[in-house]
This record gives sequence, C-alpha cells and structure tokens, in this order.
Amino acid sequence: MQHTGLRLPVTGPLSLGQRLAGILSDINDGAKMRVLAVQEYFGLAGKAIRFIFARPFYIGDVVQQMDAIGVESLGIVLLTGFFTGMVLALQTSVQMAQFGATMYIGRLVTASMVRELGPVLAAILVAGRVGSGIAAQIGSMRVTEQIDALNTLGVDPIKKLVVPRLVAALIMMPMLTVLSDTVGIGGGNVIATAYVGIPTGLYWRTVWEQIASGGFILHYIPTDFVQGLIKPFVFGGIIAITGCYFGINTKGGTEGVGNATTRTVVVASVLILVVDYFLTQVLLFMFG
Amino acid sequence: MTDAPRDDKGGTDAKAPPEPDEERRADPGEDGEPRLRRAEDELRARFAEELEESEETQERIGISKEAIVELDDVSLAFDRPILEHVSLVARRGETIVIAGESGTGKSTTLKLILRLLRPDSGRVIVDGEVLNDVTYEEALVIRQKMGMVFQGAALFDSMSVFENVAFPLREHTALTEDEILARVREKLEFVDLEPDRVMDQLPAELSGGMKKRVGIARGMAVNPAIMLYDEPTSGLDPLTTGTITRLIMKLQRELKVTSVVVSHDIRSAFRMATKIALLAEKRIVFFGSPEDMTASQDRYVQDFLGGV
Repeated sequence: MQHTGLRLPVTGPLSLGQRLAGILSDINDGAKMRVLAVQEYFGLAGKAIRFIFARPFYIGDVVQQMDAIGVESLGIVLLTGFFTGMVLALQTSVQMAQFGATMYIGRLVTASMVRELGPVLAAILVAGRVGSGIAAQIGSMRVTEQIDALNTLGVDPIKKLVVPRLVAALIMMPMLTVLSDTVGIGGGNVIATAYVGIPTGLYWRTVWEQIASGGFILHYIPTDFVQGLIKPFVFGGIIAITGCYFGINTKGGTEGVGNATTRTVVVASVLILVVDYFLTQVLLFMFG
Repeated sequence: MTDAPRDDKGGTDAKAPPEPDEERRADPGEDGEPRLRRAEDELRARFAEELEESEETQERIGISKEAIVELDDVSLAFDRPILEHVSLVARRGETIVIAGESGTGKSTTLKLILRLLRPDSGRVIVDGEVLNDVTYEEALVIRQKMGMVFQGAALFDSMSVFENVAFPLREHTALTEDEILARVREKLEFVDLEPDRVMDQLPAELSGGMKKRVGIARGMAVNPAIMLYDEPTSGLDPLTTGTITRLIMKLQRELKVTSVVVSHDIRSAFRMATKIALLAEKRIVFFGSPEDMTASQDRYVQDFLGGV
C-alpha cells in the first residue's frame, strides 16, 4: 500500500479545563438563542400592535377570527366557568359552615371569579383551544410556503395573519371572561340555594355587596370589573402573539407544526400565570 | 459561450455570433484590457450582419436588449457559503432557466431576486432598482412586479381557487368585483382550466398539475413583467410536465413576460429556455443558450447533460 504521508491529528482525553470551556460555550450559545427568541417575540408583538393602526385593515379577517376565537370557544368557557363557580361555592360552604358564615358564599364566589379564576381559567382554556389552533394554522402555512407566497404577493404576513388574530383575541377574551364570570356566579347560586339553603335573593345581594365594596370608577364602573377586564385583555394578547410567534417560526414539516402547537400551549399558559401575578400586584397597587 | 437567438418555435440558431456582453461576463478579470477590447471590436465587425439579424429576431419574439433582472457578482453565506460571485442577466422577454444539482443554491437565487434574502456582497437589480438597500416595505411594492410560482404551488388552502387568484387583485388593485371575476376567468382560461368547473373548488380538491396551473394564474393575475418559477415541473407526470412547460413558453410568446425558472428538469429547460445558467459548487459554471450548452466541452456540463 502506498504511504500518503498524511497523519491523523493526535487527540488525547480532554482536560478538565477544556471540558469546562466546552460546557460554558454551550451555555453561552443556549443563552444567546433564548435572548434572541425573547427579542423576536417582543419584536413581533411590537410590530403587530403598531400595525393595528396601519392600513390596510383586514376587517373581514378580524370578524372571522372573532368567530373562531370567541364564538367557538364559548361553550367550553361557559361550561368550565359554571362548574368552577359550583365547586367554589361547595368548598367555601364547608369552610364557612364552621364559622356560621355561609351567607357570605356569594361574596367569596364573586371575588374569586371576577378577580382571578374567571380571567385565568378562561385564558388557559383559550390558550389550549385557540392558541394551539393559531400555531397549527400559521405553522402549516409556513411549511407549505404559504407565508412565503404572501410575501411574494406583496402582502406583509404580520398585517394579514397576526394583526387580525391579535385584535380578535383582544376583543373576545374580555367578553368571554365576563360571560364566564356571570355563569360561574350563577353556578355558585345553584349550589348555595340547592345545597346550602341560602335564598337566591340573599345570594345575589351579597354578590352585589362584593362588587360594590371595591368602589367605582367614573361613578358607575365597579373597580373589580376593571381589574377583571384588564387581565383578559392582556391574556388575549399573550395567547395570540404566542400562537403567531411559534407558528411563524415553525421549522421541519409536520413534526415542526406539532412542536409549535405544544410550545404555544405550554408557553402561553406559563406566561398567563406569571403575568397574572405581576398584573395583580400592579392592579392592587392602583385600585387597592 | 454564445447568446443564440430563438426562433418562434422555440428553436435556436447555433451559428449566432458571440455577444460581447457575454464574453465580458465570461472573464470579468480581464474586463477593460485593451487587447480584449480590440478582439471584441474585431469580432463585432466580423459578425455585425449576423448580430444585427439575431437582435432583430430576438426583438421580433419579444426579447429586448434591456436587462430586467440582474445579479451582479452576488455572494451569500449562512453557516456555510451558498453562492459565490454569481452574475446573471435576464433581458426583458427572456426565459432563463437556472439548473443544477440539489442544494446548489438555485432556489436561493430566486429568493434574492424577490428580496426575501439580501446578498452579503454584490448587487441584485430588478427593473432598474437595486434591491440591496430597499426596506421591507419597499420590497413589498417591488414584488408586485413579479409573480412567483412555488414548487408545491403554495395556494392558500383556506381559500377557493377563485379567492386565490383574486387575492393579489384585491390587495393591489382597485378593480370592482365584476372586473375581478372577469380577470380571474381570463387567467384561469389562459392556464387551460375551466373557470366554471374549478373556481369554487378548494386547493385540496385539485390534482398536482391543476394546483401548479392555479399557482401560475395567481402569479400572473396582476400582469407582472417577471415570472419566477421554483421547480415548476417537479413531481409531475411527463404529460403534465409538458403542459406546464408549454404554459411557461406561452407566457413568454403571448405576453412577453420575462421568466426565471429554477429547475433540474433539463429536458424542459431545453424546450423553454433562451438561456440556461448551470449552478455548481456555489458558482455559475455555464451561462448560455441550450445549443451552446450541448456544444460545451466542459466535463461537468457534459456530465450534467448525460441524461438528455
């Protein structure tokens, strides 16, 4: 056999320092990727919010998305809202009975539903149903080159795809939450009346007492309502932007679409819960 | 490498003289050398009559001397080099086929022309506008001069065929609904589809060839000056391949549209192309007429044509 004169580089086992440098380099790359992703996420959110007020306005698409996000989610949101109200009344009745204060069930159910459970539960349900749908739809469009097609036809995909979904979510989430709250308080009424024996009139009087106890803004709007509506407005934005972000950044065919939907549900749900805490702090500071 | 004119039937004149512009592109390193210029002048004088005749022929079939798409010494790299010093000119009315093996940067070239990508160096010029420095919003406007046909057609699957073809008209024109309907019917008829039969169908209900034809109809809806095709015949049976090839030729012949076609289907390329650019190893290794390609003594070119 002819000798080529070439030699393989001699490599020994890596020293501790080299291994440490490798690990640090990997951590550095991973951190950079995550920072870039966060930057892109907020970049998309900023552009979408700016484009809400820029022509062209895709009114038809907004209405279509309001139907998909709002009307089609109504059943599941109402059902869970109703049962949440019932279970709240059931649990509080057991606790309140120890102090002989079962007449305040209405107050507790209302405070919990309007301030916390209504907005958060509705948002998490919509994140699962709608957020994943948005990611799957836009992700499929990405892998089948439909988003490239929009670009080549001279249409900005953010204006055409993201803005209508964002606007629809911003409008529909507060509406869904109001309905969820109402049905939840109604569910509490069913348990309070049928199980605990509190008259319906008394239950609704305590509900109103709770609503009025926080005071009013502009004389007529209960503060609790304002708090309860700011949250779903923000959550709606989180759901739409998260779904669109993972949809637009889908890579790798159908498997990529699956990953995009899973990530959307996980990230949107976590973001909702984390943002909820900080938002509550801010709202309590503002409204008490 | 020569720039042979085509006759009306799509054939070419193998005896056509070399065009000075082409010669310069072939050896840019010596551009401007007095000796080369003298040789060029001599060639021009020698073949003046034939050159004039070829230009007349080209003008007759709708090819002007004006460059409408130009890649000038373009290089692009992502994590590895994709294109290196690529130069390419499509004159108004020409059909340029960019051929080459998979992964040689053919589709990337189309993305550069559409300004979906920016080159690292060199210039991309479309209809006199240098795309390197235009903003995203300006690029959206420039793209309206171009129609793009994607490999998988990329029809909007939530819209009917009518809605797909009408989409660019609704976005960029002030046509009334009646005018849009008339334009959609005209374009569908142009691509040999029966409007009444297909207009209400969804893309999922169409065959691969029909999807491609609807894609062409959508691309040409606003009557762009340039049509770009990404693998228009891939995955199609031989008969449908022939139909799509004939359609691209019909667009050039009847509407004088400039076409840039990315394809590795060299048989179709020979039928439709006025010029073929062969990409290999990130560079254009051949750019000339199909006849010149056949006559080329280059080993790689001959290997590439081995299947023809």
